[in-house]
Parts: sequence; C-alpha cells; structure tokens
Amino acid sequence: MATTVYNPFASAQKQFDKTAEMLDLDKATSDLLRFPMKEFHFQFPIQMDDGSVKVFKAYRIQHNDARGPAKGGIRFHPQETADTIRALAMWMTWKTAVADIPLGGAKGGVICDPHDLSNYEQERICRAYVRHLSANLGPNVDIPSPEIMTNAQHMLWMLDEYETIKGQRLPGTLTGKPVGMGGSLGRKEATGYGVIINVREALKELGLEIDKTTASIQGFGNVAQYAIELFQQMGGKVICVSAWDQKEQKALAYRKKDGIILEELQSIADIFGGINKERAISLGYEILEGEKWIEQDVDILIPAALDNSITAENMQMISKNVKMLAEAANGPTSSEASNYIEERGIFTIPDFLANSGGVICSYFEQVQSNMNYYWEKEEVLSKLDTKITSAYISVSNFAMENDLNLRDAAYAIAVDRVARACHDRGWV
Amino acid sequence: MKKDKPVEKIIAELKERAKELNCIYGIQEILNKTANLSTDSFTEIVNKIPPGFQYPEITHARISCKKGEFISNNFKESPWILEVDIKVQEEKVGIISVYYEKEMPQSFFGPFLKEEIRLMESIAERIGLQLLHEQLKVVFETNQGTDNKAEWTIVLDMLAQTDPKLLVRLSRKMINYLCWTGVSEADNLLYEFSPLFKSTEIFSGEVNKPYHNQEGTDIIKLSYDIFELASRNIEQKEIISHIQKWTKEDRSGFLSEVLENPGSSLSDISSAVERYHHMAPGMMELTEARRKSFSIALIRRILTDQFEFIKIAKSHINIEDFSTLFHKTISPTISYGKLGGKSAGLFLAEKILTQASKSKEILANIKTPKTWYITSDGLLNFMSYNSLDEILEQKYKDIKQVHQEYPYVVHVFKNSLQPPHIVKGLLMALEDFGDNPLIVRSSSLLEDRIGAVFAGKYKSLFVANQGTKEERLKQLSEAISEVYASTFSPDPIEYRATHNLLDFHEEMGILIQEVVGTKVGPYYFPAFAGLAFSRNQYRWSERIKAEDGLVRIVPGLGTRAVDRLKDDYPVLLSPGQPNLRVNVSIAEILKYSPKFIDLINLESGSFETIAIDSLLKRYGKQYPMFSRVISVIKQDYIQPARPLGTDFNKDDFVVNFEGLVKRTEFMNQTKEILNSLEEIYGHPVDIEFAHDGNDFYLLQCRSQSHNDDTSLVTIPENITKEKIVFTARKYISNGIIKNISHIVYVDPEEYSKLENHEDLLEVGRTVGQLNQILEKRKFILMGPGRWGSRGDIKLGVNVTYSEINNTAALIEIARKKNNYVPDLSFGTHFFQDLVEADIKYIPLYPDENENIFNEDFLLHSKNKLSVYLPERKSLKNVVKLIEINEEFKDSLLSIYMNSDLSKGIAFIE
Repeated sequence: MATTVYNPFASAQKQFDKTAEMLDLDKATSDLLRFPMKEFHFQFPIQMDDGSVKVFKAYRIQHNDARGPAKGGIRFHPQETADTIRALAMWMTWKTAVADIPLGGAKGGVICDPHDLSNYEQERICRAYVRHLSANLGPNVDIPSPEIMTNAQHMLWMLDEYETIKGQRLPGTLTGKPVGMGGSLGRKEATGYGVIINVREALKELGLEIDKTTASIQGFGNVAQYAIELFQQMGGKVICVSAWDQKEQKALAYRKKDGIILEELQSIADIFGGINKERAISLGYEILEGEKWIEQDVDILIPAALDNSITAENMQMISKNVKMLAEAANGPTSSEASNYIEERGIFTIPDFLANSGGVICSYFEQVQSNMNYYWEKEEVLSKLDTKITSAYISVSNFAMENDLNLRDAAYAIAVDRVARACHDRGWV
Repeated sequence: MKKDKPVEKIIAELKERAKELNCIYGIQEILNKTANLSTDSFTEIVNKIPPGFQYPEITHARISCKKGEFISNNFKESPWILEVDIKVQEEKVGIISVYYEKEMPQSFFGPFLKEEIRLMESIAERIGLQLLHEQLKVVFETNQGTDNKAEWTIVLDMLAQTDPKLLVRLSRKMINYLCWTGVSEADNLLYEFSPLFKSTEIFSGEVNKPYHNQEGTDIIKLSYDIFELASRNIEQKEIISHIQKWTKEDRSGFLSEVLENPGSSLSDISSAVERYHHMAPGMMELTEARRKSFSIALIRRILTDQFEFIKIAKSHINIEDFSTLFHKTISPTISYGKLGGKSAGLFLAEKILTQASKSKEILANIKTPKTWYITSDGLLNFMSYNSLDEILEQKYKDIKQVHQEYPYVVHVFKNSLQPPHIVKGLLMALEDFGDNPLIVRSSSLLEDRIGAVFAGKYKSLFVANQGTKEERLKQLSEAISEVYASTFSPDPIEYRATHNLLDFHEEMGILIQEVVGTKVGPYYFPAFAGLAFSRNQYRWSERIKAEDGLVRIVPGLGTRAVDRLKDDYPVLLSPGQPNLRVNVSIAEILKYSPKFIDLINLESGSFETIAIDSLLKRYGKQYPMFSRVISVIKQDYIQPARPLGTDFNKDDFVVNFEGLVKRTEFMNQTKEILNSLEEIYGHPVDIEFAHDGNDFYLLQCRSQSHNDDTSLVTIPENITKEKIVFTARKYISNGIIKNISHIVYVDPEEYSKLENHEDLLEVGRTVGQLNQILEKRKFILMGPGRWGSRGDIKLGVNVTYSEINNTAALIEIARKKNNYVPDLSFGTHFFQDLVEADIKYIPLYPDENENIFNEDFLLHSKNKLSVYLPERKSLKNVVKLIEINEEFKDSLLSIYMNSDLSKGIAFIE
C-alpha cells in the first residue's frame, strides 16, 4: 500500500531524479543528494503542568551542508512524519542554493499539537529539543528558524537554552528573532521587495519598462503590500488587489483603473490584510468578486495569497494582455495551470526564486548576529537587492543557455550548485 | 462607577441626616430620663421635632394621645402635612403630625423626604414603647407582694391587662401543646376554645379596663383554666419558657399575616419588612423554621415562584435582604408583581457569593452594579394608563401582521407616558444613579417559566443618561417603554405561538442597572466583559474537561460576547486550563481576536461599535488596565503591553487578554465563582460579568440547565442497528441536530490512497462545492483526521472555513492504524468559526470498544456525487454524497448528544 500513497518525500525525490538526469549527475552524487546526510530521530520526556510526564518524538534532518551550515525551520505538528521533514529539508537545500547564499538545507519538528499545550509546556519542549541536539546545532552547524506553529518566542527559548549550554552568547544559532534580540531590520519588507526586484530584472529582459506596466495582485497581506510599495516606487501601476472579507466570508477584489493608492488602502485595512469594503467604495474603488483579480487586463499577475489559486478551473480567465506571472505565494499554480501558462507564453518567475527574499534576509540576520553588529534597514535592503538581482541573473542566464523555463532552470541551478560543492569538497 | 455627585449636594444631604439624628437622640434623651411621660416631657419632645426637618423654620409639630394634645411653639396648621400613628400593641393610641407652613418643592411624599418619614416612624415607635412600658409598670406594681402566686399567673395577669389578644393566642398554643403531649383533659378545653373566640371584636374597647366586666370574660377565664391544667401537667419552668418563646414569635405575627394574605400588596409587604428591619434586635427572635418560612414566602411573592429557584434561594436569602431590595423597587401604587427571574438570579448569586467569600478570600471583592427594579405588573399598569390594552391582542394576530405592525407598536409605546407613581420612582432611581450610563433589561416571568432560551428575545437597551434631570428621565422612560414594546415583537410571539404559550399573561419586570465602566474620552465602557459557563461545551483540546468551564470575553461592553457575530470573535478561555489557548500560532491569534468594541458614546448618547484599533490610537493610555487586555504585535512575536513605553500611535495591538490570564487572579476568580455557584445550584450555571479596571462585577447568573441549547438531551434507546449511522463516546457536547437530508462522507481509506497532491486538493474543492449546493445546516460532513489541515494535507481534507460553513456538523474520524489512533484536530483550524456559527464538532473513534460505525451504510448507499457534480465523478470512490431519503423512504438523519453521559448517536428517524 505504501507505494500507492501520496508521499511528499517520494515526490521530492522524483523531481530531483528528473533534474539529476538532466544535469547528468553521477550515481554517487545522485545517491548522496537523494537522501539526507544526517537524520536525528529522538524522543524526550516532558513534565506537564499537571505533574504528569509525556514523551515527545522529535526530528532534525540535515539534508546537505556542502555549501554551508544547514538551515531550516522547526515545526510543531501533531502528525509529522519523517518523510515530510525529509522532503522539506531537501527543499531547503535547493532554496538556499538558488538564492546563492552559503547555507545548506535542514528541517526539524516535534510531534505535538500546541493547541494541547500551555506556553510553559511548549517552552520545556523547546529547551529539551535543544538540549538533545546541542552538539549538532550552532551558527556553524545547523541554524533553525520558525515554521508551522513556532514563532520568535520559541526561537528565543531555544536560543537561551543553547547559549546556556555553551556558556556564551551565540545569537547566530537561530534566525527569526525579534529586532533588538538578534533579529534583522528589513525582514518585513524582504519577501515583497524581493518579488519586485525579480520582476524588475525580468521586465528588463523582456524589454518592458516597469513604469509603463500594470499589475493585479491576489492578497493584501505583508508580502503583497510591500510588493505594491516597491512596484509603485519603481513607477508601476497596480490596478487591482483582492483581499479576504471576513464579513462575507469570501475574497473580494478592489479595482481602480487608474491605479490603486497603497496608503489609502492601508489606512482602511486591518493588520490581517482585510480591507473595509464600505470605506473602499467611498474611496472610489470598484468591488468585484475575489476571483476577478486574475481576469484583469494587466501586464503582470502576482498571486500573493494562497497555494493552488491558479488552477485548471480559472486559468482560461487570464487576460491576453498578461505577460508575466510572479509567484509571490508558495505553490500558487497547479501543475496543469503551469503547463497552460507556459504554452500561452506567459513568463513565470517561479515561487522559490520569486520569494527568496525571505531566506536571504534570514541569512543576513545570521551574518549580523555572528558579528554582533546590526545594519540599518537601508543597508539590509540594498544588500537584498544586490543578492536577488544576481540570483535572478544567474538563473535567467542558465535558462537561456540551456533552453529551459525559469522554473526548471531555478531548480537545476540549485541542484547543480550543491552537486559542485560536494564534488569540490572531494566527497564525490 | 465612582463618579461623584457634586460635593455641595453630598454635604447638603449629610447635613439633613445629621439634623435627623440630632432630633432622634434628643427625644431619646428625654424618654430616658422620665419614667412617666408628663405634659412637660411631651412639650419638650414636640419641640424637638421641627429642627429635625429640612425646613425647621417653617415646620410645626403636634402630638395627640390619651395624655393630651401637645404642640410646638408658634404652632400653625396647613395643608402640607405628614402624619404617623403612635401604636401600643398594634392599637393606635395617638398621632404625630408635622406641618410645613407653606408649599415647598416636591420630594418623596409631597414636600417630605423619605428619611423624614422614617424619622417620624422612629419617634412614634419610641413613644409607643414608652407608653407600653408605663402600662406594664402599673401591672407590675399591682402584682407586687403576691409572692405565693405562681410566676405564670403573674404573666397571665399582666397580659390580660395589657394585651389580651396575645393572651388568647398563647392560650391557644398551650392547649394545642397539651393535646399533642397527650393530656386527656385538654380535649374538652380545646373544644370550648372554639375558633369563634379568635374573633377580635370582643376585645374592642379600652385596653387597660379590666376585662371581667365585659363579654370576653369567658375566654380570659378559659385561658386561666388552660394554664391551670398546664401547671398540673408540666413544670412551671417549662410553662414560662413556652410563654417566652411564643411571645417572641408572636411579635412577627404582623409579618406572617401580611405574607400569608394573598391580598396584601407589595407596599404592605414592603412596610412589614421595613418594620421588621427596624425592630430592635432581640425583640423578635424567630426560630429557624419560621425565618425560613418567611424567607420562602417573600421569595415567592417578590422574586419568582419558580420552584427550583426557591429551593436554592431559601437557604441564602434572608428577610433582612429584602429590606434593601424594597428601597430600590419601583412598582405601581397597588402592586402584586414580582421582579422576575433575571433580577432574582442576580440577587441570589450575589448572596451566594457573599456567603462563600467568608471561606474563600478570592471571592471577597466581587461586586454587583447598582440596580433598581420595576415589578412585573409595571407593564400592564403602563398599558392601562395609556389605554394600550388592545395591543394585548397583538399576539393572536397573524404573524405577518405582527411583523408589519411592530414598528408602530414601538412608536406608540415610546410616545406613551409612564404612570406618575412610576415616574416618581424613576426620579428617585436617577437621583441614586447620578449620570452614569444605564442599561434597561427585561426580567420576564415567561423566561422563568420556559428558560433562558427566551431571554434573548426581549430587548435590553443602553441609556447614556446624560443631560438635565428631565432629559435623563425622558431617556430612561423611553427605554423602558421600548423594552415593554419588545414583548409584542414578532420573535417572542412566534416562539410563544409554536410553544403554546400565547395565553400566558404578559408580565415583565425591568432591571435598571448602572453600566459598569469608566469614561475614556467621549466614551464609556468596561475594560472587558463577557460570559462564563461552568461547563465547557466547546472543548478545543482533549486535556480540557467540561468542568474546566468556558469564558467568552471581549473588550468593552459584553454585547459582543453574548451575541454570535459573523465578522468578529470573542476570546475563548477555559478557567480550569488557563494556559491551554484555542489559538496558538500568531496567525490564529490575530485572526480570532476581537477587532471591534461596543461602547457608549456619551456625547451622542448612543450605543456604538468602533474599531478597537482606532480607539487605542486615540485613547490607548486611558484604556482601563490596557496592559491586561492587549498585547503588542512585533513581527512574528507577541509581547506584553507595558503600562509605560507602549506607543499607541506606532505599535500594532491584538486583544488576547494574555496579561489578564498570566498576571491577575481573574481566571482563578472566575473558576471559583462558577464552582461556588454551581455547587449551590446543583447544576451548571452561566454568568455575565464586566470589569471596570478595578473590580469584577457580576451582571447576571442563570442556571445552564434552563438553557434550551445546553439542556441535557435524552439519548433515545432501542434504535435498530441498521438505522444507526454512528455512536460516539468521547468529547461530546450537548445538543440535537435534526432533519439532516444529506451526508457528505470522505472515505478515510480511499482518501489515504490518493497518490497525487492535486487529487488530495480536489477533495477539498469538491467538499467546498457541495457546501454551496446543499441546503444550509441540512447536511453533515464526515471525513478522516484533521479537517482543514494546511500543513500536511494527508492528515485531513484541505478545506477553508468558507468551504464548510453551511454544514450542520463537522465530524472527524480517527481510524486505528497499526495500533495507533491518530489525534484529531478538534476543529482547531477554524474552531472559533465553528463556535460562532454553532456548527457542532464531533470526533469519532470507530475502532474503539462499543462504538457503532455503520461503514456499510456509508460505503454502499447510493452515491449521488455524480448527479450533483458530474465534473467531479472521478472522485466518487473518495467522496460519497448520501441522500438519506433515497435509502430510507421519508426519513431524515438526527444526531443526539449528551455531554453528561458522554454519548452521541446519529440515526435515521
């Protein structure tokens, strides 16, 4: 039965195999990269608030650290499986490689449901996790970050435990810390800005001037808002955004044909990216059904909300004018839609290139933590621009040289970089 | 709550009280120094009275009694008069009158203050006692030197001269006693002591004339015979002690007379209780049984005649408690009304908690807001005063017509006047409340009858209570009229029609309560408010037990916690498990936190809902105990808001009550309140509360078992096995879901076999489509594991809340795999959405002992998926759409759940 069941690791391996074949990797390299290099499966007892003791299972899987210390999140999830974590760890290796930052890939997790745990119990779990893994973590070994159901608070508990064990302050052990506690400025902006830096570079290649382009964006969360901000600063015009309407329990699209004004939408939005419909109407916005964002006659579509939002069902609705799709969200396009969009000749910036701003900023956080010197926001953002621009150009060149689409090229360049690092180290 | 009246006013009031006290002390001094009230003493007394009044220079007093008529200096009569009788042993023996020389402003009784009436009553009582004392002295003196007489005869002699009625009553008790104790001769005397002799007419005449010469001779003689017989059968000591006990009891006779008489009005009862209250302690010692019977009678007459309530209340509410209650009760002149269940519930809860606080310190500072009451007959009084009687027929009209006419009813009611007596009472209430905002709530007798399900159907209205006294009176009267009008609104009438309650008389008490809160800018609101339940029906974790309770809490007025809102959420907490929170990730916490606040705008005089963000930006620093209510959102991190250094202009906030839970006793306090109340009530309770930043206020308390929603469901027995779809035995809430026409079943086995990520996603979209097609709340969703799981789709169907929001129930199935039963989500991904929409969540463990899981029915019933959604037929092995009446003709599915038994059953009915 196991073979017929959806297995995220198996599908990650399948994707890797395809690329390995394309890159003509030797068997040893393939064998090495098909599986994680190190896996820690462990368990620890935790005293619960009521005095009882419960045993928790945990994982840390380091897929590859040939290019630098492993990096990846720690999730708290009740039905985590080793295979899911393996797949995610492998994904992190490619993600750091495509962004060309000197880090590897890892992922970890504790099998637990924070909904059943008090904060005190979660803190004990975080500390126990680090105690059991302390020899295999660290700024030069493996650098965790927050993931599903973990946040900055969990990182600080873990960091504190680690530093206590080591007897020194080592803020570079983890990322995702709050500003002032080893966090980096510019993190809020990083992903949204990163998307637009990619867009800017792609437009240059297509010979389009950004200040003559228009865009329609799905979502009005953090990523979308900063993407709009930078896009508008560069002279682009956003015609339409969609946002979730809590009252109506569905998404609505807000359109202003001569360009939405970010500040005014922000002034009527809550911190969750929900827009006040009545006030938007009074500000002269047209209110459309949420899915209409995709039908707009714009040059660029930016899905920045949910996964799987462009599917076989709505892909036909994409306007003839659309020239570019920038995947700000993770996995916004189903594979069927992806093929269709390629056939249509719409230029796609794939998610793990488009939203690499996040992981690059994590890297910056770690660098700053290691030297215990923190940059001003402008410095972070300008370094981000440099890094993303060069990552984009590399992928784009690789695509052109090898006649690949950007998605395949991004994946291939990542695998290629890791494979070379393994080779250069003399491993394979 | 602590809004002061103008200082001058307080000083003026205190001056009045001081004058009254001086007056009473002065008179007491005169009484103390004289053994026998002489003409001089009376003259002295009568001149002490005017200085005790509000306008001494124009006040004149007169005392008339058998000793003569005594007047104050420069005495003048006038039409502005206040009179009080002097009584000895219930007999009027004189009168005190006070006159104002000229017309003065209206007050409680004409120009006179309520306190002045009490002053007069007090003086009359003291003079009465003095006169009695003098009479007794005469008797004592006559009996001196008769040492060979038995003690009891002395007592009898005294009584015969001073209070023959009491003597007869004591004799009657003695003869009864003798009969019970088996003294055979007593029977004859009992026969002779026929009820005829109880007639008081025979005693008309001067009290201190000897009775031998009158018609009543026989009965007095009979009394002596009875005691003679007693002395032969029981010891002298015992006789004396009986006489003592019965005499004391007899002093409360006035109370029992009033209470037992169904014809006595509220004001009769009120003055009897008042009299009892003012009696010197020790003068009336009641046996426990008698006290209790008085309390019960009062509870029944004044609060509610609901048996369950009386049973509990009798041990917690004393006669004395009613005295304070009456001071704040407004009623028609002659009233037979009650206060109704809501008022009664709060009154009782307050008493229970006060008693409990003696052993539990944490309950010491629980307060209730200042409250005034209008009795339940106020509504009919109001209607007849305004000739609105025909509106009573409204309820018999066609419901459509009721709908149409209701706005006019409201209009007419709001433009009608409150009867003058009520207006007088409202003015006193307003005086007491000052200009604090008020809430007018209904306390319907119908609610008592059929439970709290009815409660929400009548209106509660906020009154800003700002402006001049006239304006405030107008606001308050209009609000009361509007609450009255809600009796005739379509909703309750429809409910009554379907439950055969139309003929039940409209009676609605009113509570006028000070709104708990503080003034912030132009607004007035409590720091937070909400509901608390002693039983948690919505458990979000296996670790939470029903008895851990549930709190629904919001910033500002509690209206947003009481109602279920579509676009906002209260914070849910479990007092027994304060650290297990519903929402854990930052995204969840932000999504399911209150975004709006209900408050009273004192400037516009209206009830408003505003965004909490905008309130905090402007008035954050002044928000009462804000650091306990809100936290600061730093990116991916939630920090406590600190009293200093919180930047309300720059920072983002979330209302999560983290400070309240972690840094105050609130959760323990709430738990203790719920425990204490539940323990006394003997079943689950729920309360409404508010906090003004300083104190916890209890606003309402009712028994959860009266709530239709949560009342315990009887699980049907003997259902044939083929008609059962499933049974459940763990984490069951209460309720019945009926008339389910469809089941959407995602087969766990087939779902786990799906190989392709996109196929798994398809299942979610298919469910979403069915959710749109099927009739709202007429279908249930059943599927494996964790519905709405976003992380790992294999763990459960990937849906968003909007893809399941029309289902009646969400059912998660945990099938055993290799000795391992997976954890269920308890709906955590959209837990609060489920709660607010009242979508039931049921976890199923088909492989655990004794559970029935009719997989055969689910798998082999006709799958209608391809009929409803032809384009999804590829998923027909995974998603089953079962039409119940296709399988069982003219039948529908029902689910019954009982949390106490922890049993649930779904079957074809």
